[in-house]
Amino acid sequence: MPIWEELPMSKFLGINHLNASYGDIQALWSVSLKVNEGEIVALIGPNGAGKTTLLRTIAGLHRPLSGTVQLGNTALHTLPAYQIVEQGVILVPEGRRLFGGLTVLENLELGAYTQRARVARFKTLKHVFELFPILAERQKQRANTMSGGQQQMLAIGRALMGLPRLLMLDEPSLGLAPMIVENIFEIMKLTNDQGVTIFLVEQNARQALELAHRAYILEQGKVVGTGTGKELLHNNEVRQAYLGFAPITG
Amino acid sequence: MQEMALTQITKISFHRWLVPAGIIILILLAIFIPRQVDKQNIWNLFFLICLHISLGQSWNILAGFAGQTSLGHAAFFGIGALVTRTLWFQGTPFALAFISGGVAAVIFAMLIGAPTFRLRGAYFAIGTLGVAEVLRITASQNLPLISTMSGPTIATYNLQARYYLALGLALATTGAAYTLLRSPRSLGILAVREDEEAAQATGVHVLRHKLLALSLSSFFAGLAGGVFAFQQISYYPSAPFSPLWTFDALLITFIGGLGTLAGPVIGAIFFVVVREQLAVNLVEFHQVIFGILFILIVLVFPGGLVEAWERLKKISIRKEKRNVNISK
Amino acid sequence: MSIESFLQTLVFGLFVGGIYGIAAMGLALVFGVMKMLNIAHGELVMLGGYASFWAFSVLGMDPFVSLAIVIPALFIVGLVLDRTVYRHIVRLLGEEKIKNSLLVSFGLTLVLQNLAQWLFTADERAIQVAYAGEGLNLMGVTMPYTRLGSLLIALLVTLGLNYFLHHTYPGKAILATAEDFEAAELAGINIHRVYMMTFALGAALASIAGTFVTVTYGLSPSIGVIWTLKALIVIVLAGTGSILGAFPAGILLGVVEAISGAFIGATYREVIGLVIFLLVLILRPQGLFVGRN
Repeated sequence: MPIWEELPMSKFLGINHLNASYGDIQALWSVSLKVNEGEIVALIGPNGAGKTTLLRTIAGLHRPLSGTVQLGNTALHTLPAYQIVEQGVILVPEGRRLFGGLTVLENLELGAYTQRARVARFKTLKHVFELFPILAERQKQRANTMSGGQQQMLAIGRALMGLPRLLMLDEPSLGLAPMIVENIFEIMKLTNDQGVTIFLVEQNARQALELAHRAYILEQGKVVGTGTGKELLHNNEVRQAYLGFAPITG
Repeated sequence: MQEMALTQITKISFHRWLVPAGIIILILLAIFIPRQVDKQNIWNLFFLICLHISLGQSWNILAGFAGQTSLGHAAFFGIGALVTRTLWFQGTPFALAFISGGVAAVIFAMLIGAPTFRLRGAYFAIGTLGVAEVLRITASQNLPLISTMSGPTIATYNLQARYYLALGLALATTGAAYTLLRSPRSLGILAVREDEEAAQATGVHVLRHKLLALSLSSFFAGLAGGVFAFQQISYYPSAPFSPLWTFDALLITFIGGLGTLAGPVIGAIFFVVVREQLAVNLVEFHQVIFGILFILIVLVFPGGLVEAWERLKKISIRKEKRNVNISK
Repeated sequence: MSIESFLQTLVFGLFVGGIYGIAAMGLALVFGVMKMLNIAHGELVMLGGYASFWAFSVLGMDPFVSLAIVIPALFIVGLVLDRTVYRHIVRLLGEEKIKNSLLVSFGLTLVLQNLAQWLFTADERAIQVAYAGEGLNLMGVTMPYTRLGSLLIALLVTLGLNYFLHHTYPGKAILATAEDFEAAELAGINIHRVYMMTFALGAALASIAGTFVTVTYGLSPSIGVIWTLKALIVIVLAGTGSILGAFPAGILLGVVEAISGAFIGATYREVIGLVIFLLVLILRPQGLFVGRN
């Protein structure tokens, strides 16, 4: 019996021997990992490793071939996507996927669609506008007229409107200027400090490992390594493969 | 081991001959059954089947093989019927009028082809529907209300000849589709169907291939219209332009199996036979039944009867394999 | 042509355009949100017409009042059709979805048209209200109450739809699903419920158009195809992403048809609409009203 079932009280994410496919190709091979409540866990790995497939499967956009995804005692892998959101698991997808033709405000309001989030939406909106003043400025603007960085902020803001217990982000730094990336990582830290568990997939391995408490490495659909952020930052193989360093000798 | 290998070889050669043999038998049946039975309604039934095979197969060439779902097929059918009927009634020998009908349809197709092929997917579908409707409305406004054969023509009316013309056309259309599939052009056309942009990227001249499929499709649809005009003693000249003909082509091809050679053939037989049966038994209601049947087929067997057949075959092959393994 | 008769033609174009607009908005909703082509939409217009005719002839209700019954009735019909037929198609993608929705809705056209013929016979029906001949007379232009009422209600419905889509959560969920259905799922929206509601809403809008058609022209089981085509023309003019833009586009079509019909003659009036439709399709496929709903 998996270890985490001995701890029913803490709500955290447990993935057990997950097999999933992307189209006709199998993308995840018996992936097992866990995210503890209050942690920031990073998932790094090369392109095409299956990181996005994993997040999408957790979020309910894909049905796994086998294996389980649990949030505490609740099985997520049998739920439709919208019910997973109601459980408090919210994904900021790769490429942001905003509602382009709708305004910034409408996008944020839609983020608070679930009953739980809807009743608190005015308060949450104030909070999001404090985090991202630019969104307050451009409330009435159409989402697809904003810059990449602003869109990423809107995507994160929209997710926050849903009052996530577990926030998942798929490559939030992709294609963004370093300063904006800094800002986003700060906000992730801040959000985590306020009690939101974070599961982060990132190309930018260094910053992800610096931010994360723990991390996993996914290669070709398999978990090939795990450790704390610091451990992996100092691991030779990781440094060579993902941090662009020469190995530390001696 | 040796024994099993032998049985496998004989099975393969048996299978290779099964299909051509089956086709020849089918053709022979088509030629001789109506003659044997020699009843008016059988000749009519077989005629309708062959007409609908041509109708469906010609649509299949464009939609099934080239992947362009057109809703304007009736336009070609209508032009073929109109040109054939008009020329023939004015004294042109039928053979010439007949071919002219097909050619006229191709000319029209080439005129509208280039602009409409700029459209994709749903836009192409409704665009072609729009074109066909323009044609239909123009025709119904400008043509006489009814077109009837002259006395002498009716007196010498030969249903058998008309049937064999329809049969010949059905064979020719299917043959053309077959040749297209076997030709060097076929890869290009199928590539266009699968993924236009990818095809373009690999150097396939997309428009040219589409136009090739369109010309064949329109030619045979036009000839089918000519056959219709030849057979009908009297009819409304705008009737062949009705979108119902397009929908029949869709129904037939889809029921049988889009993109397969046998599809329109099976579909036409099924469609005509079932429709005639239902029309006899459930006069008022038969279209409703047909519609429901059609919806069920689209939902359950999107690959049509051909797919259903393939699935059944796979199940029986799997059963055989299991038996062979057990006997080991 | 005198100013008076020109204005008269224009006004009648407006009236018919309002019906075009309402009919088209229903189809635009389904196409924009579910990305399916429902060519049985005209049949829903026809059924709405029969519902109002029934309410009038059996219950003695004024057609405008009968909308209170007709709209919910066709809404339910839409729900049923979605649950039984369209929900299997909506989960497909791209070209396959369009092809299958075309086919399935064509089958539905057969079913609904012939069902109507079986139930109501092929006879033409019309609603003759007590005030049929009466109307306003402004500057020599006659405006029958029936047509005026149709246009006003059409306008109100459009405004109501606008409010619903942009200022209520269910409405915003519909717009979100139209933009990006996966992102909508990720926001906690039950998109299958959205699809069901959208289709039902489309049917309800069609029924409003159907009621006006019965009052203004007349009704028979075969009018479905004509109205589907009209709706298609309008949504192409509006741009297929635009839902509310279908209303002004409908008005435009009505006016253009009426005016050109006055000059070229009634026989080619139908062709005008189709030709404009084809030109827009080929030359400006994003439609005439670029921009949001």
